[in-house]
Amino acid sequence: MQAADAGAGGGAEGADDGADGPGSPGGAGEATAAALGRAPPVTRPRHAPRPGGDAAATAGRTGGRTYVFALCVPFPSAVEAEIACGSLAPDAEPHGGVVEKQLTVRGSVLAVRWRATNPRLLRISIISFLDQLSLVMRTMQRFGPPATR
Amino acid sequence: MPAVLGLEGSANKVGVGVVRDGAVLANPRRTYVTPPGTGFLPGDTARHHRAVILDLLQEALTEAGLTSQEIDCIAYTKGPGMGAPLVSVAVVARTVAQLWNKPLLGVNHCIGHIEMGRLITGATSPTVLYVSGGNTQVIAYSERRYRIFGETIDIAVGNCLDRFARVLKISNDPSPGYNIEQMAKRGKKLVELPYTVKGMDVSFSGILSFIEDAAQRMLATGECTPEDLCFSLQETVFAMLVEITERAMAHCGSQEALIVGGVGCNLRLQEMMETMCQERGARLFATDERFCIDNGAMIAQAGWEMFRAGHRTPLSDSGITQRYRTDEVEVTWRD
Repeated sequence: MQAADAGAGGGAEGADDGADGPGSPGGAGEATAAALGRAPPVTRPRHAPRPGGDAAATAGRTGGRTYVFALCVPFPSAVEAEIACGSLAPDAEPHGGVVEKQLTVRGSVLAVRWRATNPRLLRISIISFLDQLSLVMRTMQRFGPPATR
Repeated sequence: MPAVLGLEGSANKVGVGVVRDGAVLANPRRTYVTPPGTGFLPGDTARHHRAVILDLLQEALTEAGLTSQEIDCIAYTKGPGMGAPLVSVAVVARTVAQLWNKPLLGVNHCIGHIEMGRLITGATSPTVLYVSGGNTQVIAYSERRYRIFGETIDIAVGNCLDRFARVLKISNDPSPGYNIEQMAKRGKKLVELPYTVKGMDVSFSGILSFIEDAAQRMLATGECTPEDLCFSLQETVFAMLVEITERAMAHCGSQEALIVGGVGCNLRLQEMMETMCQERGARLFATDERFCIDNGAMIAQAGWEMFRAGHRTPLSDSGITQRYRTDEVEVTWRD
């Protein structure tokens, strides 16, 4: 699960942060990774600092990169995927809106997608989610199967 | 006659309880204890809760002699408390509610303490002193709300005690407050500490800074013993709590006082409150450590009242919240 750094205005799947202003070398780049064995995108070189400025200032001026992480979790049935979604979706992410998380159910798969500007908080959110997901799955294994509706 | 399952884990205690029509059918609990000189952090606490909660859930059902289908409602702590631990418990509640097709109820932790206190003691309409590691409030019921008459303006009294225990490296097993209480019994000298009642409210962070500093100085010179400091801290903070409780009782014309929350286990606090109540011709109510300390049955009991009054928490509204004021809940189950 490599997070690859794409420079120069994205082009990776799902990018929707354009370059900030004329002459800005990278705008908000985007890094995308997917679990389940897909090869990470080709790493492009970091954009060079602007003439007269340094890399940190450039990143600040353009508002920082957006990181995206996607996860697909298969369940034995659609009902169980829905239950997992119902259990894991309601709690808001900490730290205001720095990390956004979206859960959707497609058939019997729970799809989770993160967007964040802070890689450290993104990593914490993913790890925390995986811990809670594991608990939900153990709960379903131990106290399931779902009662007939 | 509804049977309600209650799940609690807002701090370092995780518990699952079952209550049906005023009877506590089960109330197993586990405490996350950290080494002396340390406190409990949210991530580690949540990890502890996740490791034991399913066993607790099974124990509760077995002890109550009920199957999942005989449970009518799943209550859990919506807040206040620590984020990750609250989430760990809430996801289990939501999962079993969906698995078993039962209604879900998010309960305010403070109201859980109050409702269990009322149930166990039979107090009709007491002035409540709610004191724990996370909360310090004086509460009285009026017109469909548990109104906060006085509270800490900074840290909870239990937090002050717990953090002082860390300075002295007092054991956290079974709880730092319990060990401070035992040491205080052997204290002989009263060290003068700041006394910080602010009208109806109290403040503890200044006392903590003062006593942390005093501990370094006075223990080094042998001016006093750790037992003297434990004794002095208790006498000071408990006197403050008695004062603000008495003030609220005077305002309300109340003849009953109820102590809830983990610090309510402290026998010295109960003794001081009893003296004040007797002087006023009022009656004091308190519970034992099964119900003072955070537990699942108190959440189940509050849930039972709420369920019968028609409250329900839809999944979309079931997110936990670290800040949840006692007076935010409309207490429709009382007149």
